Amino acid sequence: MVKSKYFYYLFLINALINIINFVPRGLISHRFSGAMMSVLIAVLIGTLFIYLFVKGMSKFPQKGLPEILNENYPRIISSLMLLGHVVLWYTAGLITLLSFVDVSLRYISSDVPSYIIMIGFLVVVCLSIRLTSESIMYALEVLIVLNIPLIIYFLLKGLLNPYFSWDAVMQIVTYSWTMPSYESIAQATFIFSGYINLALFNRVFKNLKVRHFWLIGVMGFLILLISFLVPIGYQGTVGIERHVYPWFTTADALRTKTFIVERVLFMFYFTYLTLSLVSTIVHWHVALEFTKGIFVSKKQRTSPKRSIEWWIIIPFSILALLGLKMGQFTLDHLGLMYLDVRFVGEMFMILSVYFTYWLKRRRRRKT
Amino acid sequence: MPSSRKKPDSLLESLSEKLSKSSDLEQRSLCTAEHQVKLIYLKSVCDSATLNRFILTPFFETESEQSYENYIASFPGTTSSEDIKEILDYILQGRVGIVFNSGKIYLFEAVRVEAGPVQDAQTEVIVQGPSDSFNESLEVNMNLIRRRYQSHDLKAETTTVGNKSKTSVAIMYDQTRIDPDVLAEVKRRLEGISIDILQASAELDKYLSANKFRLFPTTIVTERPDRAVFNISEGKIVLLVDTAGYAVILPAIFNDFFTAMDDKLQVLPVGWFLKTIRYIGLMMTVTLPAFYVAFTSFNTEVWKVQIALLVSGSRATVPYPSFMEVILMLLMMEFLTEASLRLPKAIGPTATTVGGLILGTAATEAGLVSNIMIILVSAVAISNFVIPLNMMGFTIRVLKYGFIFLGTIYGLLGVVLGMVGVVMYLTGLRSFGKPYFRMFSVDRAKVSSSSKGERTDG
Repeated sequence: MVKSKYFYYLFLINALINIINFVPRGLISHRFSGAMMSVLIAVLIGTLFIYLFVKGMSKFPQKGLPEILNENYPRIISSLMLLGHVVLWYTAGLITLLSFVDVSLRYISSDVPSYIIMIGFLVVVCLSIRLTSESIMYALEVLIVLNIPLIIYFLLKGLLNPYFSWDAVMQIVTYSWTMPSYESIAQATFIFSGYINLALFNRVFKNLKVRHFWLIGVMGFLILLISFLVPIGYQGTVGIERHVYPWFTTADALRTKTFIVERVLFMFYFTYLTLSLVSTIVHWHVALEFTKGIFVSKKQRTSPKRSIEWWIIIPFSILALLGLKMGQFTLDHLGLMYLDVRFVGEMFMILSVYFTYWLKRRRRRKT
Repeated sequence: MPSSRKKPDSLLESLSEKLSKSSDLEQRSLCTAEHQVKLIYLKSVCDSATLNRFILTPFFETESEQSYENYIASFPGTTSSEDIKEILDYILQGRVGIVFNSGKIYLFEAVRVEAGPVQDAQTEVIVQGPSDSFNESLEVNMNLIRRRYQSHDLKAETTTVGNKSKTSVAIMYDQTRIDPDVLAEVKRRLEGISIDILQASAELDKYLSANKFRLFPTTIVTERPDRAVFNISEGKIVLLVDTAGYAVILPAIFNDFFTAMDDKLQVLPVGWFLKTIRYIGLMMTVTLPAFYVAFTSFNTEVWKVQIALLVSGSRATVPYPSFMEVILMLLMMEFLTEASLRLPKAIGPTATTVGGLILGTAATEAGLVSNIMIILVSAVAISNFVIPLNMMGFTIRVLKYGFIFLGTIYGLLGVVLGMVGVVMYLTGLRSFGKPYFRMFSVDRAKVSSSSKGERTDG
């Protein structure tokens, strides 16, 4: 059992990883057409979703989504629902991995073949997702806490830089009253959607109490603004649209004079590689456990043998290796499309949790 | 009543038959006009002074057999048994079998323990604080702990491990602070051990762990009574092995291996500083060689221009790739460590001089390794020795080669992969059901009582 504080880490990992998962890219493409407004709306929606989902899951103490669905629905329906969620979670991790392979090739190891990099990632990720949920939470905590000082350093470095163009930022702020589109709202809400991992990790929380929802809102708002506006401050309002990974280009513009490593990019890469690996581990762990939930034998209600995990992990890995065939353009599209679809998936998830609770209560009243 | 009571001679016969061909077997018959008893014992494990003083002399001073029997039975260490196997075990332990005419056999404790006096700690040296260490006698070790922990809550249960060696193992713990699940688990695992000989505490550690193939030690093996006592007060279990001068402390978490006993004696900021130093040492010793390979062969652009030039200038004469250089020099360093460890004390310094000074200087002058490499190897070696507990130090020594391998294949990326991998591996480990590695493990005393329901597979 873990304490409630681990919920904030789940929130933080998604909030920090948004840079890799194309959130800035999506927002920047809407920068003149409602991105600012969608940031504001996303903060409201995100905080509301977190509140609703935490309340909803607290009706099922120490149960994950597979148990909740399997107990209350016929086999076929629960399996289908789980399968849908598996696809979403798997894609989340997949996009993080694929775009990080791309980043590595572009900025760090241009002479290592992409599939070798991917195999390296997959070995670490696939061995790790088999750990218990508690272990993954502990690792999440360790890696986030170790990396936060570095991230704060990057931010200070970035914001205090005299070459940072506040004018460009102000110009974008003047577009605040433009009405946003569905896409930009969906993309902006991604940074809040770490909470959705609770669908599985609820198993290990001992009476989860989340306080300070407003704090999550404020944090999310700041993180969104930073990840959207800081690249604009460096690359300019128009020049920014040429960059696929605006944040890596931004980090490459920074320089430390007093350290043995001069280009901030490498420290940034270091930080974000650890974070994206652990984020993938979290997402794929959920996907793995949900897939196992599909194969739970109805009669004994026991989880399947641990050896079955390999039969899930192998297709996961093969798909990821095949994913390398995707060009950058397709990956970019897939990433943005995923952000849009995921928003619907989240709403569906929250509704299904409440609906299941209602169903369960009505059934109990009848008997 | 068993037959042994009726025929004392047949009992003695079967005992001496079991112990035949032992030149140290001693069988005596004592008799005066009034009464007579028979003694059977192994003189190699019995103390002859005790024997003379408490068994022989009183025999001739007492008038009747009954009063002598009462006298013998009154000793606290004396037991009586009727099971032949049990009697045999007692005699092998160092008790004297005294057979009376009535057929009753008493086993008088006259064990001779050859253990040195309590000496100063050799492997865990500290600057200030108590310096005594465990020795090879279980009773002395228990005494060292009891004297420091005078509470009736301190329990000491004894079992034996080893089919042939019959080594007694004492389980010591504070019953108010301990997690009963852990205790039950330890007892279960101790019973499950099936080996012939148990001679060292570290061996026990190996057989106790659930997962045979693991990289990190999950129990502390220590020779310091103060560490054992401190851990008992924190709700841990201490296993003392007879004939082994070390105690096993469990469950142990990662942070314990980076705690020296004099951290607590220091002023608080100094204590923190020392601990930070050790963790920095850990990071350095594990990653420095890998970073060197990564930055000289893969990501030369990472370094500042001046440093990059400096390194490549110093490497200009080196005829092979950087990972060969690193592995060669690290291997030399390992040989040096191993050699100076096992050599007799008189020759030890020679090895270090030859290896460290002459080889290092000559190798750089010959252009086989770069100057920076020598600095790096020394830094790696020194920072490895910062880790206070040896078991962890050895693990870390092995671990860095894994990082070099990753650094050779992937460069900077590989080092990061390795770090994430190690963190994941560590958090996945459990020491007797307790999470091995967590960020804020300081509040473990409070946590241990609230986290009993934790799943222990992993």
